[in-house]
Amino acid sequence: MSSGGADYVPPKTSGRLIAIIVALLIVTNVITAVGVYYGTAPKAAGETITVIGPWASTEMQKFLPVLSAFTNSTGIKVSYNILRQEDLKLVLPVQFAIGRAPGDVIFMTSSFIKENGPGGNATDLTGVVDKSAYAAGALDPVTGTDGKIYGAVYTGKVKPGFWYRQSFFTAHNLQPPTDWISFTNLLTQIKGISGIVNPIVSGDTDGWPLSDMTEHFIATYGGASMHRNLTAGTEMWTSAAVHDIFANRIVPLLAASDFSPPLKWDSTALNGWWANQYALYFMGSWITGMVPDPTDLRVFSLPPVSGVTPGVVFGADYFFIPKYTTKLDAAKQLLRYLASKDGQTVQVKQGGHIATVLGIDTNAYPPVDRVVAQTLTGKDVLPDLDDTKGDPFQANFWSQLKALWTSADPAGDLNTILAAIQSKA
Amino acid sequence: MGETGAVTRRGLRSLALLWRRARGLRVVTPFGPRTRRAALRLVFFAPALLLLVFLVVYPIVQTVFLSFVGPGGQPTLGNYRTVLSDPDTLNPNWFSWPPPLGTLIHNGLWVAIHLPISVLFGLWLALILRDVKGASIVKSAIFLGMVTPMIVGGIILQFLYESGPGIVPAFFGAVGIKSLDISWLLYRQTSLLGLIFGSIWLWTGFSLIVYSAGLTTIPQDYFEAAKIDGTPPLRMFFRITLPLLRPMTLVIVTMTLLWELKIFDIVYAAEGKTGGTAGSANVLSLQMYLYFVTGKYGPAAVVATLLTVMTLFATAWLFRRMVRKT
Repeated sequence: MSSGGADYVPPKTSGRLIAIIVALLIVTNVITAVGVYYGTAPKAAGETITVIGPWASTEMQKFLPVLSAFTNSTGIKVSYNILRQEDLKLVLPVQFAIGRAPGDVIFMTSSFIKENGPGGNATDLTGVVDKSAYAAGALDPVTGTDGKIYGAVYTGKVKPGFWYRQSFFTAHNLQPPTDWISFTNLLTQIKGISGIVNPIVSGDTDGWPLSDMTEHFIATYGGASMHRNLTAGTEMWTSAAVHDIFANRIVPLLAASDFSPPLKWDSTALNGWWANQYALYFMGSWITGMVPDPTDLRVFSLPPVSGVTPGVVFGADYFFIPKYTTKLDAAKQLLRYLASKDGQTVQVKQGGHIATVLGIDTNAYPPVDRVVAQTLTGKDVLPDLDDTKGDPFQANFWSQLKALWTSADPAGDLNTILAAIQSKA
Repeated sequence: MGETGAVTRRGLRSLALLWRRARGLRVVTPFGPRTRRAALRLVFFAPALLLLVFLVVYPIVQTVFLSFVGPGGQPTLGNYRTVLSDPDTLNPNWFSWPPPLGTLIHNGLWVAIHLPISVLFGLWLALILRDVKGASIVKSAIFLGMVTPMIVGGIILQFLYESGPGIVPAFFGAVGIKSLDISWLLYRQTSLLGLIFGSIWLWTGFSLIVYSAGLTTIPQDYFEAAKIDGTPPLRMFFRITLPLLRPMTLVIVTMTLLWELKIFDIVYAAEGKTGGTAGSANVLSLQMYLYFVTGKYGPAAVVATLLTVMTLFATAWLFRRMVRKT
């Protein structure tokens, strides 16, 4: 026997041994592959469909009754999975590429549905979704360039304006503004109140509260038409009209420290505002479900100017059926239910949601939501600008607005920031 | 290459023979010990080779290929033009402060600032903790940063730098520097530097541990002889300690450099997908990710290729130095 490994000569029986090992490896791999495939492949039988939505915690608790109501009326069970839309943007293209879908009904941004419908990844719902149940144009964000409808609109949230605590306004004898001057006067008054850090709190450094607030300025002082044109890309962010809204309305407030710097966490902003460190908070109607005492909540929109038709942004939730669902019929039934008066009535009763289908009884809303729903009356309803455009515009928009909010010289940086927004528009 | 081919051929031939033998068939061609060795080598080498080919070589080749393919499938250099002319990669006004200066410059700043500080800091800690009782506890505490997932590190940095709860702004506020009593990761002036400085404690543990191990390999006789000769401590450090730690230094520098070039998770966790306000802390890997998630696979492949080339050159250069000197 030699001592070096290089001189090792395997015994003659090693050939058979190696062959057996190789054969075993192949057999075990095949068994594992078959097991994994059949273990994870969707079962053909059984009517449990999967819904993927972004809502967690209390928001999820308010959505589950809708699914329960659907199960009670149809017998189809629904499994609800939470997945943020940012994550879905990564997951879905990969799943679609291999002809699979992680859910049968998926809540996703309208821009994604609009893009993936004609791309062959979403089920054509023309004829399935009742167009007449919605206001005119409500389904446009999920209608593909080929004219087919690839999604439906669930309920939504209005972004009506600045929320305040009635108790705080009463205690300090403050009044909601009626014009721009009274708005700036109100901010000055608030700044003089002891304990106030800034009159308006800017929440969440991800950037979306800043974009919602900016959209409100645009929809009020540029009007619904400017908002629509910016969404469609037919108006430039560097145009004189858009520049003027920033320069004359937003920048002076930033320069006067009327806005707080963006706070990292929503809860910090919310708690600070509720503790009267800030007086005003621009937020969507879901705020009614986030505060200890919704009856103390009041809201006002920016005062409009004559000659401009203001709009109000309505952030609807969109959903679609991926082409690769194995339970198309059941998925269509759920889709019809979620897009029906019955389904949306169950949802609005839970609070924090505004229906998109027509004819919902206003008594179905909790009192505070009823007031919010009424703010839509007589106003031009607009889709959320950055949600509609999607990335890369959205991420860039949020990021550039943070730059404006944190700039030491917002007036000086404005042109650069607007040009940067336009570069991804 | 020729030898490898011959070994592979011999191995495959031997495998066929082994298979025939295993089935009880008569093997006409005799094979000797050399052939059997080749067959064995092939059997043991094949799984690793297959994994490397499918999981490393193929994706690299495919990525490089993709970087030269346009959206319609046509060959193009357009992806490279897109990336290199993108202000996110190189801001035309990159001389002006504050950031964004462009991801290329940001990665360069990571290397220029983070690399020397974390390496020297680790060396300094290793030296002062060399003969200290209970030093292992201190070293373990410092090494904790290394075992902390960087995504968690990024979230910790959010807390450290947030105005209000954060210790960093609070410190500067307490010493009267109000301009730094702000949320560091939010402002363009401070976000990039905040991440670089903040990640030093996460990485210093690595150089500390490697240098500590290296110091134990230096024979004490050298120091004793130098002492007898009356050599001052500083001279001993530069003439004995540092030269004998050269292999460790090269390993640390190489690993740190690679980490800085492909840094992603800590930036993503602390600053989000845009790499901070107006991209002020954006880096190449995050830029690649953003291209990818927005469906711009060609430009994403370009950034991946650039990163691969940069890391390849850096590693090759450092390894050549290491081999030459050792």
